[in-house]
Amino acid sequence: MSGIADSTLEPSDIDLKEIVDQVWESYLDPDGTAPLVLTGTVPEKFDATGSISITGPWHGHVVVATSLGAATGAAAAFLAMEPDEVSEEDVADALGELVNIIGGNVKSMLPPGCLLALPHVVVATGAVSRWPGATRICELCGQWRGEPVCISLWHEKREG
Amino acid sequence: MRALIVDDSRTMRRIVRRIVEGCGFEAVEAGDGQAALDAIGAMDRPPDLALVDWNMPVMDGLEFVSRARAQPALRAMTIVMVTTESEQSQIVRALAAGAHEYVIKPFTADSMIDKLALLGLVPNGASL
Repeated sequence: MSGIADSTLEPSDIDLKEIVDQVWESYLDPDGTAPLVLTGTVPEKFDATGSISITGPWHGHVVVATSLGAATGAAAAFLAMEPDEVSEEDVADALGELVNIIGGNVKSMLPPGCLLALPHVVVATGAVSRWPGATRICELCGQWRGEPVCISLWHEKREG
Repeated sequence: MRALIVDDSRTMRRIVRRIVEGCGFEAVEAGDGQAALDAIGAMDRPPDLALVDWNMPVMDGLEFVSRARAQPALRAMTIVMVTTESEQSQIVRALAAGAHEYVIKPFTADSMIDKLALLGLVPNGASL
């Protein structure tokens, strides 16, 4: 048996979209009035990035990158607050929980035995997360409430 | 009725707090398993319900469940894991350690309340 060596076992864009839709329906768009509208357009830079690593038989990372407006909107939706009531700490925590939930659900589609790390969040314009050798295998980019959001899944091949 | 919410995410603690307070619980929060045990130790009576995340720093949810179940005073406390860990083997581990139920993130308020109703902690058909 070769575990995840068969790349067909990796989640696809469709799988990632299903997970993201569930998250939006549960927390960010419970009324169905503000879906994530996929455009495929990747902005040149983001203001906030949340990432979480998955290790074990499959190694990779889930990344949620957004504008500050989208991250603030997400925190406000999670917390049932107005965007102007949300603190920077709220934004970072909400983005961390968003990527944690997406990452956990991605992990459920991977071989048994994978582990989910704790989320890492950077709120800084132009900040990017890079993993040398990692390959992007899924990406959903679009607009949420007129603000850019990109969610991607990266696979890192490791020997042994 | 008192509910202890154990999650390292303040965001998730607030989401769960809204739900359980809407069901009439007094809510207490802790950011990890050790903080939860400390909070319980400082209470005049143990919580009736603990809603526990799995992946947390310091002490994870599974360790918390094991330690709570080892304390006779906490044997009556209902424990619900609230987590993204949805592998069957993980669910089995949590239930074997002493959790009563399992809620997988993302969840809606209704799905959480349905679980609490199944456990007899809120009336059937309750909603926010």
